[in-house]
Amino acid sequence: MLVRSAIVLLYPRTDVLPGAEDCDLDAFLERFQRETTLLIWSGVVAGALLFQISPIFTVHVPLPASLLPPHLADRHADRISNSSIYLVRQAIFLVKLAAGLAWGADPVVRARFALPPMPPDPGTWRTE
Amino acid sequence: MSAGEHIAFRGRDERDLDTEVDYVVVGSGAGGATAAVTLARGGARVALVEAGAWRDPEDYPSSAYGGMRDLMEDWSAQVTRGRALWPVVQARTMGGTTVVNSAICVRTPDDIFEQWSREHGIDGLRTRVHAAQDRVEREITVEEVPVAARGRSNSLAKKAADDLGWSDSHYMRRYAKGCEGSGQCLQGCRTSKKQSMNLNYIPETRAKGGLIVSSAPVDRVLSEGTRAVGVTGRFVHPTTRAEGTRFRIRARKGVVVAASVTHSPVLLMRSGVRSPALGKFFRSHPGTGIFGCYDDNIDQNVGATQGWASIAFRKNPGLKLETLAIPPELVASRFAGGGTQLMRRLTEYRHVAMWCLAVRAETTGTISQSLFGSRPVVHYELNAPDMERFRQGMKLLAQQHFAAGAKAIIPGISGMPYKLTRDDVGLLDDAPTDPRRYVAILSHLFGGCIMGKDPQTSVVDSRGRVHGWERLTVADASVIPTNLGVNPQHTIMGLAMTFAEDLLGG
Repeated sequence: MLVRSAIVLLYPRTDVLPGAEDCDLDAFLERFQRETTLLIWSGVVAGALLFQISPIFTVHVPLPASLLPPHLADRHADRISNSSIYLVRQAIFLVKLAAGLAWGADPVVRARFALPPMPPDPGTWRTE
Repeated sequence: MSAGEHIAFRGRDERDLDTEVDYVVVGSGAGGATAAVTLARGGARVALVEAGAWRDPEDYPSSAYGGMRDLMEDWSAQVTRGRALWPVVQARTMGGTTVVNSAICVRTPDDIFEQWSREHGIDGLRTRVHAAQDRVEREITVEEVPVAARGRSNSLAKKAADDLGWSDSHYMRRYAKGCEGSGQCLQGCRTSKKQSMNLNYIPETRAKGGLIVSSAPVDRVLSEGTRAVGVTGRFVHPTTRAEGTRFRIRARKGVVVAASVTHSPVLLMRSGVRSPALGKFFRSHPGTGIFGCYDDNIDQNVGATQGWASIAFRKNPGLKLETLAIPPELVASRFAGGGTQLMRRLTEYRHVAMWCLAVRAETTGTISQSLFGSRPVVHYELNAPDMERFRQGMKLLAQQHFAAGAKAIIPGISGMPYKLTRDDVGLLDDAPTDPRRYVAILSHLFGGCIMGKDPQTSVVDSRGRVHGWERLTVADASVIPTNLGVNPQHTIMGLAMTFAEDLLGG
């Protein structure tokens, strides 16, 4: 929930492009948590937690990001992504990267960019 | 000779693998595969042992997610330790990084051999390495990016560089047969046009009686005193990462380590090799990209992933420039910002072209073993002159984009404006030289087991043999004692073939 909420605010739906929540995000996160390494998943969770607790520093409101009014949540998403503190920027970058893997592979998003849908990843290898 | 065998993952409930061959080669990338096939052609019984799984083009993923999961080392999570956390990009699959790179073929420049002779006492390699490179080019096919596969980004870059009068501007020569420009080099070429090692030298090694062992990371080189006699390790499942049964492969004639710049030094450390130079003199070509924003559609993912390059600035200031297309999944995180601001920026995807610089960095770093476990740790932080090269490269790329008709560029430097027009591109003159302000990666790696005459300052001699050891050779980019200023695959293959020929010749 923590990660999902941060991703939805970082990649919101607009008139032109689908948002992360339009890209089967729950299934992606379930798969990502299962398949990626503990180190990466921990980093994503830490980044999402940072995203949630930091609005006091970006929009000066003592609320978690998910409870902010939409315009402030949007401003927070942009400001925290551009933080001047390197480790903060990197933590949010990791959340953006994970979310981008879901968002950018979505067939609707790809169609907007004149790219064909991708076949599923086989996940197979030579066994003999 | 009868055809060989492939042994994939074996679970704990299966019997251990215990066998004997003439040579064990650890790692199946450009170095390992070339060494293995050379030894097999010479009549030796070879075992090629790879940490990753063996995936054929029909097994390759389509998505960047699948690429990171199935083909890359630890989901590309390895980063440098230093002020900036820059990813160290390496594959973990049969064929190594040749599966996920752009297959760029550049002969080792003559000045490199002169430098190796002058600074490291390495002589007699130029003629042999170049002959090996000629052979590789004939055998696995090298072609210039075909006209139909160039795409708009590569073509624009070429025209702009020509218009600017750069002395070297060319469509790349790559290990490929009839590239269709599917833009999928980084996820593995599903059309089988890119000639990665798993399509040629590895099957040939097997056909010549070789034993191919996959999903089998080697723990250590077995030895009797200072004589290498084999390798051992434990299978690891390609998806669950569960440990399987053990393998032990004895080598009658020798062990060739080609496990990569990060893994080869650590494997030697674990195996008892004591050298003051082991893990030292790590070098790289750190790189980053600048996006140009164009009125027309560029559609960077149509055409070869990388198709144009210039080495006009290789010697001064020390740069290689090239094109690179990245898919929407990765652009999404590469553009700055979040929320609706980020989404607005992403609408431009079809109109941007990404061109890159790779710095011929002087900085050296180290490879060491992690305190817990056996993972390699890369300590590396670009020094001030290299960061100045970085800045100069950014300016050259900006110049090139504007010459190509870009309306603006996206430099991707934290703290600077998101976009710069031609009028304010002068801001790059004062761009920061703090590496933390850049999004960059290390893609070409060198050193850690460098060649040289002096055992105090090098790990292997000019034939790849580990100083003070018998029957232990290193044949990958870790032996390269300097950076090259060009893509390293051809040099790695030339050296590996030369070293393997030396082994056959005694």
